[in-house]
Amino acid sequence: MDDNRNPTASEDARYELFVERFARNEAALRRFAGSMLPSWSDVDEVVQRTAIAIWRKFDQFDPDTDFMKWACVITRFEVLAYRRKMARDRLVFREDVMELMAEEGADEIDHRRLEHDALETCLAAMSEKERRLLTLAYTPGVKITELAEEAGSTAAAFYMRLKRLRRRLMTCMEGKTLEPEPVP
Amino acid sequence: MKSTRFEDLPLEEQDWIDAYVDGTITEEAFSKLQERLLRSPGLRSVMRRSLSLRHELQNLGATGDTSADSWLHAASEQDNVISVTGTTFTRWLPIAAAAGLAFLLGLTFTGLRTHPIEEARLTPVPTETEEHIAEGFAVVKNLIDAEWPEQSDPRQQGDTLGAEVFRLKRGLAEIQFFCGASMTVQGPAEIALRSAWEATCREGAVRVQVPPAARGFKLHGPSTEIVDLGTEFGLSVRDGKAHVEVFDGEIEFRHLSEAARLAKRGSAWGLPANGHATPSDLGEVIFPDVRNFTLQARAQRHTDFELWQSHRDALARDPRLIAYYTFERDDANDLIANVAQPRNPEFDGAVVLAETTDGRWPGRKQALEFRRPGSRVRVRIPGEFSAFTFMCWARIDSLDRRYNALFMGDGYETGEPHWQIRDDGSLMLSVMVDDTRPNPFKADDAGFHRVYFSPPIWDRSMAGQWMHLTSVFDPANRQVSHFVNGRRVSRMEIVDEYLIKSLRIGNGEIGNWGQPFRESPWFAIRNLNGRIDELAILNAALSDDEVGALHSRSRAGRH
Repeated sequence: MDDNRNPTASEDARYELFVERFARNEAALRRFAGSMLPSWSDVDEVVQRTAIAIWRKFDQFDPDTDFMKWACVITRFEVLAYRRKMARDRLVFREDVMELMAEEGADEIDHRRLEHDALETCLAAMSEKERRLLTLAYTPGVKITELAEEAGSTAAAFYMRLKRLRRRLMTCMEGKTLEPEPVP
Repeated sequence: MKSTRFEDLPLEEQDWIDAYVDGTITEEAFSKLQERLLRSPGLRSVMRRSLSLRHELQNLGATGDTSADSWLHAASEQDNVISVTGTTFTRWLPIAAAAGLAFLLGLTFTGLRTHPIEEARLTPVPTETEEHIAEGFAVVKNLIDAEWPEQSDPRQQGDTLGAEVFRLKRGLAEIQFFCGASMTVQGPAEIALRSAWEATCREGAVRVQVPPAARGFKLHGPSTEIVDLGTEFGLSVRDGKAHVEVFDGEIEFRHLSEAARLAKRGSAWGLPANGHATPSDLGEVIFPDVRNFTLQARAQRHTDFELWQSHRDALARDPRLIAYYTFERDDANDLIANVAQPRNPEFDGAVVLAETTDGRWPGRKQALEFRRPGSRVRVRIPGEFSAFTFMCWARIDSLDRRYNALFMGDGYETGEPHWQIRDDGSLMLSVMVDDTRPNPFKADDAGFHRVYFSPPIWDRSMAGQWMHLTSVFDPANRQVSHFVNGRRVSRMEIVDEYLIKSLRIGNGEIGNWGQPFRESPWFAIRNLNGRIDELAILNAALSDDEVGALHSRSRAGRH
């Protein structure tokens, strides 16, 4: 890997390049991590560790190659390392499942970007009230049971409503990003 | 990209994903999910998409580019919470959530400054109008001796069913799909309902009848897909092994990866989980008998009605009754009798415009329908009371009015009750505390009183179902409680300021509120678009147990 070093770059220039590349791809890396991890805070944690790891190894990065591809390998490594640390959390996938998820997920980076764009259109097609409900329910740290109780609804009814909205979004998003099904 | 869609997944996998995403998945389901993930690339791909979608929504919630964001900021400023930067989020999130929630409830921002949630419940506020979508695509048409597994909710006749798993422990149930197909289920059974056109029998024996209009109805077994071509057939599933019989017409079925087959009337097939479909003998399995079922259902309704009659006679002798109406009416006059004993015809009700129609037992029990805006039953009930219990069986078709009346004191003068339902489905009970003092919540509205709301208990999917509603005003214990189908749904304290011990009714009406004794430039339309077939008013605060027992004894269906 030493061949890939850029011995002429000063520390500052190197840092600038890192910040530029990382900032440009952070959202995609988050989406990648977000497609495997149980919670938003887990994603936060992993992306933060990834950023540090990328910076540490940045002198191995060849600026003429695909940063995203390189960063994905590191993210994947960090996700698996995090998984081992969090293995006792009841919602964390088993190692063999996680490996498959990460491997295939790395090939879906571009697709995630399409979904991200489609989601915007799909959300715009919902009513203001539905959007608010979704945003509110998924605000990290908000407990659905408490929201439901305060809205005078049961948690079960609230989950049901959320599930329906989410499924609608899913169908809309899939309709915009997947190849049309062959006509039977 | 290989395109497995969420909806292509088996129903149970869809359920697992939802539960995982919501964080509500059980240990057992999670372990099954992981096994399946290992084997199924399609499931993995949908799982990543689902998790990614949730992650996107969480990003919106946290960094928000929707308009909810402005609410978050507004709330943080108002409460002097540190401004929003990166990780300080979580400290003010609950406030933000309350702000957003208050908006969802249709509350104005000023209302938020004090006690957002309490205000929202106490003060009637306009709700946003939106298109109403009824949920569900099938209905429980009949039940015979039905018993339910412990963890699942008991179903009642008339319940709407959506995408869910219908579990029956024992007995018979008839499910009618909105496409027109009907399915008779023999317990123990587990049926996953997918749409108005599709279901999966995981366990149990079912008989499916498909009229021409519902041709194409699909029923899945554990390893088989059956398409009904207009017919009647039976499918039984026990321990993963299935058996299908065609009673009439024909079906097309596809077992595992075998080619599709046609099966005609009089044929039967064994459908093993891991082997070929093989022709089999008729009559190997006993399927629920639909004709007999209908007769049994009729007989049970008959018995239920007789049970109700004895309940009625017992309740009529309860000395705590103020009045009791069962809405049985002679064609000859426009009165409904107060059947409380000893008989007091003074409290009989005068029917205005309300139409006599079928009650809970069609052809046997009558009800009054208050569909037309002028419909009402006028009553005059003098006296002074120390508590109120209002109890009725109502069938709401829609909540068209802002407030939909159940029982209303005319003038809403001191001590008089208003029992009604708001258009969002909340039950409301209030008693005028002092009609000479202003309303603290609304300056232009005379009368010092407080409305005690329940959480919403009705939505459009419940249109046309009979429900047992009870509300109790209990000054001695300083509380107001609301009950639906015998279960308490809310209880609120009567604080000192709003305590009133001397209660009255005087002139009042059932199913509407017309204020005929007050001069007023406007007249409220609060008729209930629905039916009532039983209404009791007691001078007592019934306990939770008493309400539960009265509901059981008077309900449709044995208990």
